[in-house]
Amino acid sequence: MKRTLALGALAALLLAACQPTQTGTTGGTSSSQASVIKIGYIGPLTGDAASFGNDDLHGAQIAVDEVNAAGGINGQQVELIAEDGRCNGSDAASAAQKLVNVDHVVAIIGGQCSSETLAAAPIVEAAHVVLISPVSSSPDVTHAGDYVFRNYPSDGLKGKALGTYLKKAAFKKLAIISENTDFCQGIRSSVAKDLPSGVTIVFDELVDPGTKDYRSLMTRLRKADFDVFLANGQSDATDAAMVTQLRELGMKQQIVGTDTADSANLGKIATKAVEGMKPLSVPSLRATGSGSTPADAFVRTFRGKYGEAQQSMFFAALSYDATSVILRTIGQVGMDGTKIKDALYAMPPYHGIAGTFSFDSNGDVIGIPFAMKVFKKGVLMQAELIPIESSAMTESSSSIQ
Amino acid sequence: MQLLINALIAGSLAALLASGLSLVYGILRVFNLALGQTVLIGGYVAWWLFDGMHLPMLVTILGGIGAGALVSWLTYDVFVKPFYRRHPHLTLVTTIALGMMLDALILLVFEERPRSIQLTWGRTLEFGGMIIGVPQLFLVITTLVLLCLFAFLLHSTAFGRRIRAVAQQDTAAMSLGVDAPSLHRLILIMSGVLAACGGIFIAIDQNLSPTLAFPLTIKAYAAVTAGGMGNVWGTILCAYLIALLEQLVVGVHWFGAFYVPAGFQATVPLLFIIIFLLFKPTGLFLRASRAA
Repeated sequence: MKRTLALGALAALLLAACQPTQTGTTGGTSSSQASVIKIGYIGPLTGDAASFGNDDLHGAQIAVDEVNAAGGINGQQVELIAEDGRCNGSDAASAAQKLVNVDHVVAIIGGQCSSETLAAAPIVEAAHVVLISPVSSSPDVTHAGDYVFRNYPSDGLKGKALGTYLKKAAFKKLAIISENTDFCQGIRSSVAKDLPSGVTIVFDELVDPGTKDYRSLMTRLRKADFDVFLANGQSDATDAAMVTQLRELGMKQQIVGTDTADSANLGKIATKAVEGMKPLSVPSLRATGSGSTPADAFVRTFRGKYGEAQQSMFFAALSYDATSVILRTIGQVGMDGTKIKDALYAMPPYHGIAGTFSFDSNGDVIGIPFAMKVFKKGVLMQAELIPIESSAMTESSSSIQ
Repeated sequence: MQLLINALIAGSLAALLASGLSLVYGILRVFNLALGQTVLIGGYVAWWLFDGMHLPMLVTILGGIGAGALVSWLTYDVFVKPFYRRHPHLTLVTTIALGMMLDALILLVFEERPRSIQLTWGRTLEFGGMIIGVPQLFLVITTLVLLCLFAFLLHSTAFGRRIRAVAQQDTAAMSLGVDAPSLHRLILIMSGVLAACGGIFIAIDQNLSPTLAFPLTIKAYAAVTAGGMGNVWGTILCAYLIALLEQLVVGVHWFGAFYVPAGFQATVPLLFIIIFLLFKPTGLFLRASRAA
């Protein structure tokens, strides 16, 4: 008996080894393969961005496990097939090809990096398979296709959110230093586009990626008349150099930052300089795992299965929400891609654990707000939520959390 | 004037890295392309001793320097010595390989997030409209002291005389009883010590991140090339000169009309150097007679 088991296991291993890519399977045995509902996942599982790629995979897996434990969708079990998009377009495109043409998945969660999502978009569009990206922020995702959704706010709206903040705080003269990368350029142009009336950009410089010496720029900035500074770096390392050298020259103005400054590590490498700095990012997950809300339950399950989130529990929660929305919609309208797509566009606000959200006519999220955080003694605190009005919506949509 | 201070800070770092490198090239004719990684390891070890082990600053600095010396010792005995006699360019390949290995090691041991050493006395001084942080002042002065020591060693001691002898004619020096091979090792270790000091400089003044290594190497070689290959003084002067040019490029309101976009900060000085080398290929400070 033992030997047959071992042989069987060996055979299974061999079979698994023959498969070209890794598959995260849940539940479904080979005999019930035909009646399994397949969902694809694309995200960076190796490389620099693997931390949140794995967080998001775990979030999606928890949603699938919960549905399976409750008896599946109309009696059918769900299988999550994970593919490594490596945070780049070419790997994500072949992952999407495989999921769509070989596995015949009903829907895809991912990509996570914007470049993954943008590369997968034309493939799912042609195959009429719905894709929801939990965390892609590039403005380009907005018009990537009818079948492409995301429940993360677009960087294209960041300028509006910053404008809302500037107006409220009565700042008039904005100084910006940006690193010359896609992400930073996207934010820079979004800020310039949606500047509220009365606010002017008085200093706007673009530096080479990775620049650490800002002293002469700061010397010039000191002569400029500004009241708020936007540190628009690609990483917390450059953000740190910018704000340290700004404070070194004795400038006391308010500093705001972007998602890259939303980093606990920044508080550690530039504790004094970032005091009072306000990174504009997405909210942190408020649930700590000790309460009784669904979000707390999610955090407990996540920690029990996978330990602490590598990058962000909020990202994992967004991925959980995206997967839950897809599974619920399949339960309501069946497995036809076009029907799922139409149902998502018509979806009333969904009460997820990361927030209550729906999709606008471009598939962009409505209801996941931005959040202004603030550094106090080297530690990040959440200061205020900044609701977003989607570019495609005319009516207000500020019903958050 | 503030630009001068800025240049002094940036130039000190470049001079630290480039001076050792220039000596190595001047004597061994070897390009050490793993220099940036040596810098990072010195800085990271110092950071770890300071932040992780909570040791006093002095021990931290010595630890970082020790690590730098150790890495360059390894560089010499494993990656340079077996190859450079056959063909000096072989070491281009071996040191690039070493650099890649060290890159991976740094990622593995110190992780990819940036690190910095934060001194408690991080105040700023102001005099006559110029501002400089106390740590930066300390760094600039320490660098000058180090470079002066280096000069003293090279020009006023018997050891320095032997080095200069080896630099001029390897074989002749050996026939006069100078132990050239062990001098070679010492020189590489000295450049490693200076590099590690540079790493600690970065950890205090900015922050360390694993992707920094190669750009550092390039910058140091720019100073080495401009200063006249192998001319230590020329290299040090050029390091400060390039830094000053960099600050002037973005800091000055040119002809009262426009500012050069900050993206050109690094390119414009290098362009200057290229144009200069077109007219004087031996470098800014190398006399033609010594080039042979």
